[in-house]
Amino acid sequence: MSLLERRIKPADSPRAIAIATILSVLAALIIGGLLFLPYGANPFSAYAALFNEAFLSWRGFGFTLVKAAPLILVGLGTVVAWRTGFGYLGFEGCLLIGAAASTIVALSAAEGGALAGIPSFVFLPLATLAALLAGGLWAGIIGLFKGRFGGNEVITSLMMNYVAILLVQYLVSGPLRASGGLPQTPRFEREYWLPLLLDGSRAHAGILISLLAAAIVWVVLMRSRLGFEMIVTGLNPKAAKFGGIEVGRRQMMAACLAGGLAALAGMVEVLGVHHRLMDGMSEGTGFIGIVAALLGKLHPLGVVIVSLLYAGMTVGADAMQRQAGLPGSIVFMIQSMILLFILTSDLFRYYRLRLPRRRTPLKETRHGA
Amino acid sequence: MELDFQTTAVLTGWLAATIRLAGPLLLAALGELFAERSGVLNIGIEGVMLLGALAAYLATWVFGSPWIGVLAGMASGLASGLFLGFMYVTVQASHVVVGIIFNIFALGLASYVYRLALSGVSGVQTVTMFTAAKVPYLSDIPILGQVLFSHTLPLYLTVLMVFVAAFTLYRTAFGLNLRAVGENPRAADTAGINVTRYRYGAVIISTVASGAAGAYLVLANVGQFRETIISGQGFIALAIVIFGRWNPWLAALAALVFGAADALQLTLQLMNTGVPPQLLLALPYLLTIIAMSGLIGKANQPDAFMQPYRKE
Repeated sequence: MSLLERRIKPADSPRAIAIATILSVLAALIIGGLLFLPYGANPFSAYAALFNEAFLSWRGFGFTLVKAAPLILVGLGTVVAWRTGFGYLGFEGCLLIGAAASTIVALSAAEGGALAGIPSFVFLPLATLAALLAGGLWAGIIGLFKGRFGGNEVITSLMMNYVAILLVQYLVSGPLRASGGLPQTPRFEREYWLPLLLDGSRAHAGILISLLAAAIVWVVLMRSRLGFEMIVTGLNPKAAKFGGIEVGRRQMMAACLAGGLAALAGMVEVLGVHHRLMDGMSEGTGFIGIVAALLGKLHPLGVVIVSLLYAGMTVGADAMQRQAGLPGSIVFMIQSMILLFILTSDLFRYYRLRLPRRRTPLKETRHGA
Repeated sequence: MELDFQTTAVLTGWLAATIRLAGPLLLAALGELFAERSGVLNIGIEGVMLLGALAAYLATWVFGSPWIGVLAGMASGLASGLFLGFMYVTVQASHVVVGIIFNIFALGLASYVYRLALSGVSGVQTVTMFTAAKVPYLSDIPILGQVLFSHTLPLYLTVLMVFVAAFTLYRTAFGLNLRAVGENPRAADTAGINVTRYRYGAVIISTVASGAAGAYLVLANVGQFRETIISGQGFIALAIVIFGRWNPWLAALAALVFGAADALQLTLQLMNTGVPPQLLLALPYLLTIIAMSGLIGKANQPDAFMQPYRKE
């Protein structure tokens, strides 16, 4: 016997969706709050510390912007790829490839390099172009396999992540290695760092790059013919083909665009935060960005909002960890639980629980009748 | 050609390491093969392996027996499987999305539990491991004995599992029905096969195997737990399944290819040959990509791969 009963009409009004989402978030926060207890922390004050640091302190907010920038860019890449029906998962790899490409430009702009001494207003467009090209090419290969030969992009793009990780490992331990013990490149010259935005915080221009990218993606995807063709391809490739859209080519373009966007995330990270390329740099941003895109309903604006919230939670978690001795892993769990609950809540929009009814009252009425 | 002593030793060491490193990957891959044959892409096995490794580590630490550790790893795999099965089959969320989120969740959970369990304990604790179980007589054969017959019990059991998996898939009604569910769930349903139950079963097989694989890694190869102990092995197991074209025998071969590349780069690093070890490590991934690219014919993946099914 199934406990689930199909609703006659799915509960898909905006109100039902909002209620489901809010309940999911609340449930995750409550369960997350229980996780504080073994550490003897008060969940309310811990959450308060988290939000204070993430959004209300100047310094913390700066960090939030720093963390949000690459998430937004990867999220935008996900929007473009997934909306076109290209189930790409290789953003982690694209991010690293973009980081590597802009590192090569930055290092050749250092003393003795091929581009030695170019001014920063020439450098930045050059580095951006390098990252875009490298990332676009990297994902474009997978787009080609899918569009031309019908390969499975989910698996191949996952595998490409590892190739990228190994490639960066090779670069930082071989050709680009700085003298010294650690596998990393030399530090870039200060004039090629992304400029800081706010006094007294670490927020750098990366957030502007990502917001600009969000605006461009919004216009291209939602307001242009190309974007329309891409979305139709994603909704129904057969119908799109019938309507005269070159499905393979659109998927290929989506792949290049998505790869380029994720590569910019890598550029923003090396030029804005680390100021050098190093092994183990990404820490899963390429995957978390996918999650941000999904929570943002695969819409550019949604991606920006969710990424800011997500980044804020991460920054607040660090603060919480320092102040109360709480593990930051709690926030990872809360973040993923929110998503899992939202996914589950979909079930209840189509189905309702059929709780086993008590038999006795029925019997009584029957006897009485 | 006469092989000198040193070359023989290096060669023997490499081959033995190949098999040792391939073991846990193969175990996880054999389980994943069942999930994928039923139409579910279980990307979450990366996280399942991590939780299995932690459960096995803690249980062995408390009870002192690696066998109890293996059971704990499998039990945590079962719990993960029930949850993942619910998300994949009942909720029908995207397999890819659920898998990714579960991996992030597992990372958080593992680090949370590990810190909680080891609060007040200083230093990294090594637990009782499986010792090499040399097969009598056979392990005395030169070279071959060390390469094939001087491993831990989990490895022999994993090899046995290849036979079990192949038999189950191709020679039992369960295997036939499972493959039918992965190829055409609607037809299977019409023929009276309970698609939901088979997919739950296949997901649980994959997670119990992955939990055991995590336990294997800790208890036979490493001896300690770190939050980074599973860094991509779950994804490699996915690659092995696909590189092995959803067949247990070919998967075993594919696991050896990955193991060999890993072992060779370790050997080469010691020998200072100048060959970048990353190149060797990348080779199996590149081969998998080419195998899946569509360039050399369509890979014969199950027709209903990654497709949820709801009875009408």
